[in-house]
Amino acid sequence: MQKIPFIQKKILLIFASLSIISSTLAQASEEVNVYSYRQAFLVEPLFDKFTEETGIKVNVIFAKKGMAERLAREGKHSPADILLTTDISRLIELHDRDLLQTYSSKTLLDAIPSQYRSKDNTWYALTTRVRNIYSAKRLGVINVNYEDLADSKYKGKICTRSGKHAYNIALVASMIATHGKAETLVWLEKFKANLARKPQGSDRGQVQAIHQKLCDISLGNSYYFGKMLADEKQKVWADGVYINFPNQSNRGAHVNISGMAMAKYAPNSESAKILMEFLVSKDAQKLYAETNMEYPVRTDVMPSALVASWGTFKADSLPLETIAKYRKEALKLIDQAKFDL
Amino acid sequence: MVLASFASSSDLFSHLWQTVLPDYIANTLILGVSVVCLSLVFGTLSAAFIVHTNVKGKGFLRWLLLLPLAMPAYLVAYLYTDLLDYAGPVQRTLRGWFDWQSPNDYWFFDIRTLPGASLVISLVLFPYVYMLARTAFEQQDQNLLRAGRLLGLSAKQSFFKVALPLARPAIAISASLVLMETLADFATVNYFAVNTLTTAIYDTWLGYGDLATANALASLLMLIILFAVVAEQRARAGQRHQSNRPNQHIEIIKLSFVQQVFISGFCWVLVLVGFLLPFTLLVIMAIEYSDMSQLMKLVEPSKNSIEVSFYAATIATCLALLFGLYRRLSNDKWRMFPLILSGFGYAVPGTVLAMALLATFGPLDHFINDVAVYFQLIEPGLVLSGTIFAIVFAFVVRFAAIANGTISSGIEQIPRSLDFAPASLGVGLGEMLKKVHLPILRPSILVAWLLVFIESMKELPAVLLLRPFNFETLSIQIYQLISDEMLEQGALSAILIVLLGLVPIIWLNRSKEST
Amino acid sequence: MVTNELLSIKQLSVTLQKKTILSDINLTLNDGDILGLVGPSGCGKTTLLNTIAGFNTFNTGELKINNRNISRDYSSDDEDILTITPAKNVAPEHRNIGMIFQDYALFPHLSVEKNICFGLDKLTKSEQKSRMTDLLNLLKLTGLEARFPHQLSGGQQQRVAIARALAPQPKLLLLDEPFSNIDARLRNELMLEMRQLLKQLKMSAIFVTHNKDEVFTFADKVAVMHQGSILQVGSPTQVCQTPSSWQVADFLQLGSWIPLQAANGLFQSALGDFPSASQLVSNTRAVTDENNSKTRQLLLKSQAIEYCTGQSEKSNVKVDHIRVTEHGFHYLLSSIEKDSSLFFDQLSFYSEVLLSLGQHIAIKIKPHKYQIFSMPTAT
Repeated sequence: MQKIPFIQKKILLIFASLSIISSTLAQASEEVNVYSYRQAFLVEPLFDKFTEETGIKVNVIFAKKGMAERLAREGKHSPADILLTTDISRLIELHDRDLLQTYSSKTLLDAIPSQYRSKDNTWYALTTRVRNIYSAKRLGVINVNYEDLADSKYKGKICTRSGKHAYNIALVASMIATHGKAETLVWLEKFKANLARKPQGSDRGQVQAIHQKLCDISLGNSYYFGKMLADEKQKVWADGVYINFPNQSNRGAHVNISGMAMAKYAPNSESAKILMEFLVSKDAQKLYAETNMEYPVRTDVMPSALVASWGTFKADSLPLETIAKYRKEALKLIDQAKFDL
Repeated sequence: MVLASFASSSDLFSHLWQTVLPDYIANTLILGVSVVCLSLVFGTLSAAFIVHTNVKGKGFLRWLLLLPLAMPAYLVAYLYTDLLDYAGPVQRTLRGWFDWQSPNDYWFFDIRTLPGASLVISLVLFPYVYMLARTAFEQQDQNLLRAGRLLGLSAKQSFFKVALPLARPAIAISASLVLMETLADFATVNYFAVNTLTTAIYDTWLGYGDLATANALASLLMLIILFAVVAEQRARAGQRHQSNRPNQHIEIIKLSFVQQVFISGFCWVLVLVGFLLPFTLLVIMAIEYSDMSQLMKLVEPSKNSIEVSFYAATIATCLALLFGLYRRLSNDKWRMFPLILSGFGYAVPGTVLAMALLATFGPLDHFINDVAVYFQLIEPGLVLSGTIFAIVFAFVVRFAAIANGTISSGIEQIPRSLDFAPASLGVGLGEMLKKVHLPILRPSILVAWLLVFIESMKELPAVLLLRPFNFETLSIQIYQLISDEMLEQGALSAILIVLLGLVPIIWLNRSKEST
Repeated sequence: MVTNELLSIKQLSVTLQKKTILSDINLTLNDGDILGLVGPSGCGKTTLLNTIAGFNTFNTGELKINNRNISRDYSSDDEDILTITPAKNVAPEHRNIGMIFQDYALFPHLSVEKNICFGLDKLTKSEQKSRMTDLLNLLKLTGLEARFPHQLSGGQQQRVAIARALAPQPKLLLLDEPFSNIDARLRNELMLEMRQLLKQLKMSAIFVTHNKDEVFTFADKVAVMHQGSILQVGSPTQVCQTPSSWQVADFLQLGSWIPLQAANGLFQSALGDFPSASQLVSNTRAVTDENNSKTRQLLLKSQAIEYCTGQSEKSNVKVDHIRVTEHGFHYLLSSIEKDSSLFFDQLSFYSEVLLSLGQHIAIKIKPHKYQIFSMPTAT
């Protein structure tokens, strides 16, 4: 007889205590929560400035693998407000899984060119980065296209990171969009045959390998060049290479983006909106450009002096959605070519 | 379940099967077998030398050989690939000396290969074998070895024909721990550019977004482990090994000078390569790149690391005790079940486990919130999946195998008669456990706790995915910097993780000595 | 070394962890003899066994083992006799000694068959097989070849241990408390069985025990040990009839102790006096040492006690305990006069006369060869 009220009491007690716990977790309105695919310390200066300007505190979790999955599992109780990614495919994945909400404002639409945001205003690019081909200075100035990576004259002279890294998958996807599956597979196989060593390490590691004369050509994102030049130890590596913008005589260099989006169930949507607007502001874009050596998505903000010194380039006009669409095909072709093995 | 997931995703599976999967499986098997073999050689031999010979410096080596345990495998992998690959300082120096210009001028073993990965992983994992084998050797009934001697065996033969087979259960347990740890590891093999089944799991799940196939592959991985463990147990079915008689005088083999040089060399190389060298590299980095301000940044992550590891170790140990005693004292037909089941978490890659927990706790959290709404209370939010509860839970699941192994072997050493003696004295079950079993198990409990604590300190992928906002641990700090090739900046965190891991190891060693 | 000597130990001493365990041990064993090493726990008998087997090194002395007619691999040039000194050790496996351990030390991971054949790997498979079959028959173990040790009874385990030790045909068998784990009822039977077996195989053996019944049943020769030295060696009859010291007599429980006082050429006891100069006193050393009167005791055997039935004698003892035996009654008596320094409280007396508990009776010591010993003051 006495048991039932006891259990009820217990349940109430549990919930009361959960509520107390949660109140410490509960998001005060002066906060915004960010799930980031970018390392926290890369975006922290930006957030510090944001907090300084608005008084809104930014909480960040950085993770690469499974972030989308986590968001999906958390569903409507997810604490996430803003999602930051480093690759178009992630944004599209979030979009396709219905994890984003639309938000648009004049500021956003004005600041960001239309090819760098989704048609339904769910995601926006913040910066662009080029998939460059680095070449050893000892080769002299060369004119190189992505297609040339399969050229047998580079046999044993190319280094790259894993074919399955998001940046390389996106590049392969753009190749599929241009040349079709069959031709891309052949390209991948020949590319693989040209490799000086098994795909490994990071983009910077490949430049180091060029410096060590292990190979002459490597794939790498644009901003790494700037960052290496700024690093005491890595400067010597970067000094030994040219940064090349491929396919300038035809479709243009493959470009990827880093972007942001608002989570579907963002609990602090007002703060989130303020953060989004802030991130495309001239100041923020400038800071982004200066510290991370990326190309600001705003046309009216110049890249850093160093990045600008590499010259202007023609970017591939292929829609970002197309790249994301061929993502899985690209991954399959990379498997098929046994690129990493 | 496995079949179902194969069928549901047959498209992707057949694609993988036709392309990379056979290579991945082959790599997985080769990696597993070679890491286990190397760890067995390193661990068993060093344990034998320490227990059965008069190798010089054995007082130090006894515990120095445990130190590699404090090193996270991904860290050692990073340090060694960095040190030994073409661009690394070793080959650079060699090129400088001999004026070699390109890789074609000389041969140097390639660290980023399957053998390289096997070697480095073994160097980090062999202390498991060493620790369990050493304890087994020390606790063996020395009369068995003496009997071997009188039946015509030399001390050495006696070791191989008697001591080693007798230590087999302990060595097998340690080998299965090593196997599980190796196969579940993704970050480490990744630095070596070696693709295993774990790579396939990540690809299918994160690349292809196909959770079903990823599950199928994870099951395949577990099957491999299960097969290995069962095969080993089958091979010694019918044999019984326990015959512990501690505190006996152990015969020490006196080494000749040449043997002394080789054997102490062997042990020191293990310590040097498994711990001292990587640790020194970290210290050098820290001195070159760090300052006081970085030290302050470590306080919060250290606290977090210690906090979650503390909870995880405590809970895992309690559960292991519960399951172990349940198996011992219950007559239930399924009494083995909880223990065995809880041990398999070790074989699940951290990220996969984290996902599984999100999948379980997510809906539970939703339910809790719904109930809260029903009772007109404030919605508590994600109390399970969004707090350190999830991390602790993940650690407990992942490292239960370690706690189970240690505690069960402790329980097995309690004579059966002690289960009955208290009842004969009119002492009830609870009282008996409190007065008899728990005090006897104290050393095992301590060891289990410490091992889980160390592992939890090092764990990375699960905590990366499950942590709440602003919750940094030492391992996460290191990972962030490693993934940007800037370990130099994270050297201090790395040193701290190692040092925090060292404390329990030294403590563990002392507790073993005093028992 | 005399031709039929199998083992000779001279001035052997062992120090382990800075503690002297054995000192000045001298012992010889003839071919075919069974020697029982007996003594209280901690007296060093197991250490002596281990030293003979080669598990301990010794600090001084010499150990010789006659190794003649042996086809085993050890070849010490043209020597037949192994001489072991602290400077020149011989590994246990080269001593041609077999051992049966107290807990049998059967290899738990090997079957009975593999346990028995463990020491036979120099032989061919068929030789191993035939020797094993012989041993299985001899020890009545046939049919148990495939079992593991934990599947056997205690007696079976012991027989496997014996078979295993005998298989390599050692010259000398060492047994460490071989019967201590055996059921008391079976023990006697097993001892006789084993003795027969050893005699049948002409096997020499040394066994360690703290049970005097075992020594007298099993041994041809007894060595009594105490605190690291051998007090007496001899045939069971010799030791039993003429123990060399108080400790030997006490440990082997050869009789009861009656305190004595020496005065005026007499030995006084609670049971009467007798002349100390008597030709009947066997142990002269104890007698001449008059100053040590407090510790002087007479070893009194039941057959030297006379029960005085008449009323003429004054009662001097009281019946404390009665045990019925197949030969009559076994009484424990104590002296009535409690205050005297001659008081004793446990005198063993066998008689066919039925007495009642608490009854006061008169007894006296029959004149016989008195055995008088000095009781050690502190042990």
